[in-house]
Amino acid sequence: MIEATPPAHQTPTWAVFPFVGYLLLIAILPLFAPRLWESNRNKLILAIAAGIPAVVHLISLPSGGMSQLLSTGCDYVSFMALLGALFAISGGICLRGALIGTPFVNAAFLATGAVLASLVGTTGASALLVRPLLRANVHRPRATHVVVFFIFIVSNAGGLLTPLGDPPLFLGFLRGVPFMWTLRLAPAWALVNGALLVVFVVLDRFAFVRDRGKRVAIRPSNPKIEVGPLRLEGAINLFWLLGIVGVVFATGMLGTRLAPYPHAQSLLQVGGMLLFAGISWITTPRAVRAVNRFSWAPMVEVAAIFLGVFVTMIPALSFLQQQGASLGITRPVQFFWASGALSSVLDNAPTYLTFASLALGVADGGSGMLSTAGLGALAAHQTGAQLLAAVSCGAVMMGAVTYIGNGPNFMVKAIAEQHHVGTPSFFGYVAWSGAILLPLFALVAHIFF
Amino acid sequence: MIKEALVCLEGSPSSDAATRAAIAIASDFNATLVGLAIVDEPDIRAGTVTGIGGASYKIERDDALVAEARERAADAVALFERRCRDANVQARSLEIVGRPAASILHEMEARDLTIIGRNANFRFEIERDDTATREEILHRATRPVLLVPESAGGPLGKEVLVAYDGSRAAKRAIASFAASGFAQTRNIHVATIGDNGAQAWEMASAGVKLFSEAGIAAETHNIVTALSNLDAIFGFAKEMGADLMVMGAFAHSRLAHLFHRSVTRGLVERTTIPLYLQH
Repeated sequence: MIEATPPAHQTPTWAVFPFVGYLLLIAILPLFAPRLWESNRNKLILAIAAGIPAVVHLISLPSGGMSQLLSTGCDYVSFMALLGALFAISGGICLRGALIGTPFVNAAFLATGAVLASLVGTTGASALLVRPLLRANVHRPRATHVVVFFIFIVSNAGGLLTPLGDPPLFLGFLRGVPFMWTLRLAPAWALVNGALLVVFVVLDRFAFVRDRGKRVAIRPSNPKIEVGPLRLEGAINLFWLLGIVGVVFATGMLGTRLAPYPHAQSLLQVGGMLLFAGISWITTPRAVRAVNRFSWAPMVEVAAIFLGVFVTMIPALSFLQQQGASLGITRPVQFFWASGALSSVLDNAPTYLTFASLALGVADGGSGMLSTAGLGALAAHQTGAQLLAAVSCGAVMMGAVTYIGNGPNFMVKAIAEQHHVGTPSFFGYVAWSGAILLPLFALVAHIFF
Repeated sequence: MIKEALVCLEGSPSSDAATRAAIAIASDFNATLVGLAIVDEPDIRAGTVTGIGGASYKIERDDALVAEARERAADAVALFERRCRDANVQARSLEIVGRPAASILHEMEARDLTIIGRNANFRFEIERDDTATREEILHRATRPVLLVPESAGGPLGKEVLVAYDGSRAAKRAIASFAASGFAQTRNIHVATIGDNGAQAWEMASAGVKLFSEAGIAAETHNIVTALSNLDAIFGFAKEMGADLMVMGAFAHSRLAHLFHRSVTRGLVERTTIPLYLQH
């Protein structure tokens, strides 16, 4: 595990601006400059441009700047290797067969997705399950709620249990949070996903009974009706998936033993993940990936955008570690809502690190002991662990509040629209999440924080 | 006289009704029909918030929807041309990539009449209903529009009800209807609704006078009723067996429509007979 050592000097306030500006641009450019945003090359150019001030700032530091850059680079490569490997492996698994979207079948899908999300990541679980679920519901006149609850559960809240589940948690893992630590969030995971499943079943049953016998017209772009028994194609990828879990778990356990060898842990992680992704690529029939419409384009996009995120956040996180205690956010409940609110409108991965760094500053109380030890020490600290749990829950769960809170949200919406299954508009979706998720989050805050 | 009419196509039962009405009109007037199919690529590809990693899926989704829209436009055009051929009606087709309302408004400028299905959805790839396009056309059209409900595709009947409220839009509707050639062979009834019978009669008579100045005979009706304007018009149309209704569309500003439910909107939504509208 490579720890970024914060500099001894004070980080200037201006150094935070590129990070904030970059996140805002990521949010608004797709809306106001869609043509520009379509090109991954343009995203890379923007990422590099946004990162230049941070790089200049770090290079100009009297000490520690380059090591911060290097360790962040290692984190970036590990992060992308994990996302890419999970993406490649889950993209090689395909659920086929005749399915009818009854309330029971739909609930079974969502429950499976809630567990799977913590094993293959929210993106992988969403990519694996969304098409079969849509195929099963494509002829139902009212299936919007199926898409909405899929995003709530599979694309977000399900990924809370392990660092593999959601990018924020893997970032935490890369910064020193133990692999098993997130399992302590299981009660919150069970409460949120359980409650969402209950509400879903009630709503879906109501819609199913009301629309019984009504069918929507078949469109040319509707997928062909699946026939035959339910079957998993590319099931061999489940083994490669276990391999990824093993790599992440093992390198996490070896963390302290590898401490004398800088970057060895990152090399092992990346090497292991690439190995299993490569095996998956070789052993999966092309036809399976074709059914999943597998393409590397989303990963290239994520890689380009996160390059800018990782670089610009270095000074921003240093600033928050130093100024954390003075910003007025000190209690777990505040961290839960603040990290959640920001995760709703910006991507939840950088938001997690922002508030985890803030929590580090708060728990450290100005002593400097925790700040130099990283998030692993925060997770081991009595108060720090509560703050980190609040940040983890806020960032992961509230990524579901809008389409832009977490990567898979929009993916699910876009795929649903291709299948002509109704999806709410941006604000329509926010109304759904406001009505269902916010009361649930209030309950989570009340019980756990 | 109608020499060329624009028919808006999108492959639904609604545009099917519009095509049937258009073919009947073209046969009557020996007119040429221009079928217009629109691929709403700008709206399909419009920017939206996507989140990190979402843009690639948006491109995939956009490409799939645009391809489907193109396919549907081609099918609609082929069907239209075949029907016109079968009916011995001169026809040609346009396939345009653009925003539906703007495309229709642009193309209608060069035609004598535009025929649209009442429930036509030109944004079928992204919306379940498309009242926005219809409203924008009716608000901004400088040429007459014939709106055809699904139940009324086919030849236009003889009885015409002109709902006249004295507005400039209503006067333009009468003028263009009289010039279209529809009025010469039909029975025209001009009706005005009012609380005061004498005033309503006077206003309806003014509408009749507009017709008579164009050399067309029309009958005056005043409707005094406790019902809403909308219910009164529908009631009278049913009573007299109207086959076609003529009126000025959206005579008030959009702001006024925000505060007062528009009669035009109500008629458009509920009519079972074709509406000849002029803004």
